[in-house]
Amino acid sequence: MTKSSQLTLVVVLLGLFALFYQGLWGDPRHIPTVLIGTDAPMVEGPDVETGQMISLNQFKGKVILLNFWASWCYECKVEHESVLQLHKLFKDDPNFVMLGINYQDKLPDAQQYLKEYGTTFAHMRDLKGQLAIDYGVYGVPETFVIDQQGKIRYKYVGPVTGHMYTKITQEIIAPLLQGQPNSTPS
Amino acid sequence: MFIPIRLAFLFLFVLATSWPVFAEVQDETLLDVQVREIAKTLRCTVCQTENIWESGAPLAQQMRGVVRDRLKLGHSPEDIKEYFLSRYGDYIMMQPPAHGVNWLLWAGPFILLLGGGLLLYKEVIGWVRRTPTPSTAPPPPLDEQARQRLERELES
Repeated sequence: MTKSSQLTLVVVLLGLFALFYQGLWGDPRHIPTVLIGTDAPMVEGPDVETGQMISLNQFKGKVILLNFWASWCYECKVEHESVLQLHKLFKDDPNFVMLGINYQDKLPDAQQYLKEYGTTFAHMRDLKGQLAIDYGVYGVPETFVIDQQGKIRYKYVGPVTGHMYTKITQEIIAPLLQGQPNSTPS
Repeated sequence: MFIPIRLAFLFLFVLATSWPVFAEVQDETLLDVQVREIAKTLRCTVCQTENIWESGAPLAQQMRGVVRDRLKLGHSPEDIKEYFLSRYGDYIMMQPPAHGVNWLLWAGPFILLLGGGLLLYKEVIGWVRRTPTPSTAPPPPLDEQARQRLERELES
């Protein structure tokens, strides 16, 4: 075998090995999002607690944090305190709105969850799963940050705790509220 | 006595095996067929090896509902696939669309097969060239000592 053939074989095998390694150790549940920088769907649905219709349209021009959750979701319980803390941090800013979206849940279970764990912001019901599909959701919790122009700036799949809490509050929301909309697309 | 018993068994056998004939057959509407055909092309994002037609996950069920609703609204199958692509990206398609880096997925196996085949061909040709061709000349005659030894061994 010539040296060039040997080199080609080694390169091809290394490439295949790298792909195999990626497949073995990468997170198969992670689906890269295509929504960053696109217009946020202006969804609407009934409030979990009051039943009154809420539309995302009514918050246009504000920084919106959407948090998809469900009462049966363990990780939603894990992040609940952090989510409440996040709302407490920004709720006094008139340009900030936070909205929960209750996903694949029964209304009494969702209401019981909010009663038990407490809440300080509104939650919309996703009646047929359409809202979740509009946002490309495939599991809960998922969190989206929408900028003043109505574009999705950030998406995170998993509980917003620890360094993710710091990242979302300090690197995503705070710059957007300070008028730096192009700061952290991810 | 035996004949009525045999007849009774025969009757029971015929009754049991022909029962499915009386089962109700539900016709699939054109809409059902379209939903099925589109759903089979979309990947369930929960059970990622299954399409949304086969998956039992609630999200897959809701996705089938979205497909049905959009068909009822007059959207074409291409529009519906485009909608799911815009929400979930190429990942949602059971067959990745052939564009950009996805071409590697489609062409990769053929490129590897062709490259491997060429490499193998080159190697085999090299081996053939390097192997000395057997001589066609008659072998040299045996000397007397070797001939006697051969005869001894054949006799023993």
